[in-house]
Amino acid sequence: MVETGHFALVLAFVLSLVQTLVPLIGARTGNQRLMAVGGPVTVTGFALTALSFAALAGAYASSDFSVASVWENSHSLQPLIYKITGTWGNHEGSMLLWVLILTFFGALVAAFGSNLPATLRANVLAVQGAIGATFFLFILATSNPFTRLNPAPIEGRDLNPILQDLGLAIHPPFLYLGYVGFSICFSFSVAALIEGRIDASWARWVRPWTLVAWMFLTGGIAMGSYWAYYELGWGGFWFWDPVENASFMPWLAGTALLHSAIVMEKRSALKIWTLLLAILTFSLSLLGTFLVRSGVLTSVHAFATDPTRGVFILCILTLFIGGSLALFALRAPRLTAGGLFHPISREGALVLNNLFLTTATATVLVGTLYPLAVEALSGGKISVGAPFFNLTFGPLMLPLLVVVPFGPLLAWKRGDVFAVAQRLMAAFAAALLAMLVTGLFIDGASVFAALGVGLAFWLVCGALTDLAVKSGFGNVAPSIMLRRFAGLPRSVFGTALAHLGLGLTVLGIVGTLCFGTEKILSMHAGESVELSGHTLRFEGLYPAQGPNYSEDRGRFSLIGADGGIAAEITSAKRFFPVRQMTTTESGIETLGFSQLYLSLGDEGTDGSVVVRLWWKPLVTLIWGGAFVMMAGAAMSLLDRRLRVGAPSRRRKPAATMPSAGVP
Amino acid sequence: MLFWVIAAILTLGASLAVLLPLAGGGKGASTSSDHDLEVYRDQLAELERDAARGLIQPAEAEEARAEIARRILRLGSAGQADASGTRQPSTMVRLVATAAVLAVPLLSWGVYSQLGSPDFPSQPLAERLAKNPADSSVDELVARAEAHLAANPSDGRGWDVLAPIYLRLQRYSDAVTAYRNAIRFGGDTAAREAGLGEAIANVAGGIVTADAQSAFEQALKLDPANPKASFYLAMALAQEGRLPEATAAWQKMLTLLPPDSPWHGAVEQALAEAGNRSVAAGKPTKGPDAAAVDAASSMSPQDRQAMIDTMVAGLDQKLRENPRDTEGWMRLIRSYAVLGKAKEARDALHRGIAVFGADSEEAKKFTAFAASLGLTATE
Repeated sequence: MVETGHFALVLAFVLSLVQTLVPLIGARTGNQRLMAVGGPVTVTGFALTALSFAALAGAYASSDFSVASVWENSHSLQPLIYKITGTWGNHEGSMLLWVLILTFFGALVAAFGSNLPATLRANVLAVQGAIGATFFLFILATSNPFTRLNPAPIEGRDLNPILQDLGLAIHPPFLYLGYVGFSICFSFSVAALIEGRIDASWARWVRPWTLVAWMFLTGGIAMGSYWAYYELGWGGFWFWDPVENASFMPWLAGTALLHSAIVMEKRSALKIWTLLLAILTFSLSLLGTFLVRSGVLTSVHAFATDPTRGVFILCILTLFIGGSLALFALRAPRLTAGGLFHPISREGALVLNNLFLTTATATVLVGTLYPLAVEALSGGKISVGAPFFNLTFGPLMLPLLVVVPFGPLLAWKRGDVFAVAQRLMAAFAAALLAMLVTGLFIDGASVFAALGVGLAFWLVCGALTDLAVKSGFGNVAPSIMLRRFAGLPRSVFGTALAHLGLGLTVLGIVGTLCFGTEKILSMHAGESVELSGHTLRFEGLYPAQGPNYSEDRGRFSLIGADGGIAAEITSAKRFFPVRQMTTTESGIETLGFSQLYLSLGDEGTDGSVVVRLWWKPLVTLIWGGAFVMMAGAAMSLLDRRLRVGAPSRRRKPAATMPSAGVP
Repeated sequence: MLFWVIAAILTLGASLAVLLPLAGGGKGASTSSDHDLEVYRDQLAELERDAARGLIQPAEAEEARAEIARRILRLGSAGQADASGTRQPSTMVRLVATAAVLAVPLLSWGVYSQLGSPDFPSQPLAERLAKNPADSSVDELVARAEAHLAANPSDGRGWDVLAPIYLRLQRYSDAVTAYRNAIRFGGDTAAREAGLGEAIANVAGGIVTADAQSAFEQALKLDPANPKASFYLAMALAQEGRLPEATAAWQKMLTLLPPDSPWHGAVEQALAEAGNRSVAAGKPTKGPDAAAVDAASSMSPQDRQAMIDTMVAGLDQKLRENPRDTEGWMRLIRSYAVLGKAKEARDALHRGIAVFGADSEEAKKFTAFAASLGLTATE
């Protein structure tokens, strides 16, 4: 079975070469048969990659230590779920997952793209094939997951204990669905550049892919952040760590792309800019892969460092980013520009959004790459951390967040800011009220807290105002309003939900940063401590044995108002003997939107234990907001507008439409 | 054999995916302009809806309508130009098709023959452990014993058998667990305690830690003549820099050892080294009862020093990656101090303190510990 998977991988590589060359030649010469090869080959390539991945997962699940990657990253005592998630908890397996998702998206285009113009489809599949081919080559040449060991060792070296967590089951697949989803936008852009023309349906095709990719990337980043929050035991949710930035940059650029694609779709304007953004977004995804995989950055993600891999990925990076930008420089002047608009209009607002977001992306890029450049040039190590980003990224985001509610309310082509401002009066009043309440009753000392809370309310109420105005609140009878509300396009709900989610995330961040409290103390069993009105009693340390670790569990009781025990919280220190590593399992109790977070430190000689306690008000909103944003994206995906663009629309049922195949 | 059949079927399927579309007739596909027209029509319809909802002012809507109409007109003229382009099947196309179909089997089998090991079957662990013991390797037998002990953890004799095997296989932390279990379920004996001490010292990279010392002391309490325990306790003295005491202990050992004891060699060697002042932190001189060749004892002093340096560097690296390890810092400080690298030791002390904060419990512990080694935080 293992060798079958290996062979299927090789076969998939060869098919990706065919997928690159044959449809491309077909599109250049206008030959229908050659172009037709793209579809079946793409689907078959995906099937073979899936077979290969299944074979590897099977080897992990059955602890087949004759496979080198299983031996390095698995252990027979691990629970089955971690054996399986361990498949992508290492360099080789995660790269296989990467190409699996890449070929999956390619297969979706092939399967549901029958209503695309034939040459565009052929070119898209060819570009997709080229990305696949280079990554297959990378896997086979430098990080083959099917390398065998003979004789086979009897026991593996265990998966990195930090990765033995359910987070690993969700975070990487989501993140990759996001990263790789942007490859489709990239392929569409390069295909348009190869053809030298942008079809009108181009934006309609690119937008759902952008939405899908953006949705998963949002989820992936949120999951990663929550995972770091509860697994690392430091109580932080974002560290401006280069690895985090690597996933954040494509998100920022993708958000910009999402918005510029709206303008392009509706008004046929900003065509060239959108194309460039699509290329940049995927380039940033590739850059992220490079930074994380090459071992340039040391982190839990840099599973193994091998200089040949880094050089190889650098070549891939140069090829795709350099190649596509060169093509862009060559062809962009030939593309025609689209519709006109006044600066104050929906289009103008979206351009403003793009300006801010791309500048913010550039800021993060500089902050991430600058230390690497300094190290490469002078050998000195510097670190660019939160202070840099707070000073640059923060001021850039602030005005953007302030103008967010204006965007959806402005009219197309020419808008009226004063009319919109009048409509937003209620939201503004709510924000002002929230600021006053915060300043007067909760925390008078911090201006930032009041401003932050106000901003969050402004965003949330602004999003609601958008829905209210569009359903005619105040102008029409309630019954008509309800009917109008139900009849609003899904994309309007999508916009409102996404902006509302943004507001919730801001509220969570502000709440945690400004009103959170923290205590570090040494506790004996039976002692109690009070934190922000919550009383916790330390019940003691109890040893316990897991399948492949031993742990000391610290049990805590949350004392309720009546003096009884309201909840039990457990935090543990786990020791994994195979890797000789200790991990902290933090204890978290969710109360409303807030959380009580505690983690164990070292044991003192007198039987006491160092305990770190955090009260994190509204912290769950940070990730909750991200899920609301995802819901907004999902809502937008359901919009009927995205299914238009095919001449065969009236003859075929909706099932053949593009977005129907999107997961 | 089965593998080749599956590989052949997969290759066939992949080849067909290339071949069939090439063999089929090219369908008359719709031209790009048809697609564009549909989009423009929809844009018009949407414009009406937006205008009805007041999302765009009437004047602007009229303007946008004109824009879209212009695009439709442009489309009409471009479409005619498009239709005039003819397609011709050429020999080049046939060449490409043939190459693509042939490439699939040839390239895939070629590449796979370089990379794969087709004759090497999968080896799921469960299957390997179910084999006849006579065919099993040492590793597999150990795994089988482990499975037995996992099911019957209170089998003290089982742990007793397994523990020294672990030591020999250099699975030191497993050996620690095994000796602990042997003691817990089989009772306290000098041999088990001494073995435990040896295992702990090996886990610590050869340094006789406080835990190891207490195990050896326990062994001596049970059997004052236990040579392994005496030897390692002397080693601990040497590692702390108390060379004269260590030498005395070893010399005393020599007089007490029975003449046929296998420990003579090890003790004499240790004495010789102590004489050279190069009994440094220790590569554990393994007991001569270990069947494995004692690599360290056959090493030249330079090689041994290099090995010690590597081990200490390894510990240093580990602490950089996982700094919240109190024991580890103390071990590192002691190692540097014993190696006579006062500068590094002081550096390690500072780093350790920095990790936990200057006024933490740990920092005080480190400072006190360093002082006991004759180190101060500042020069």
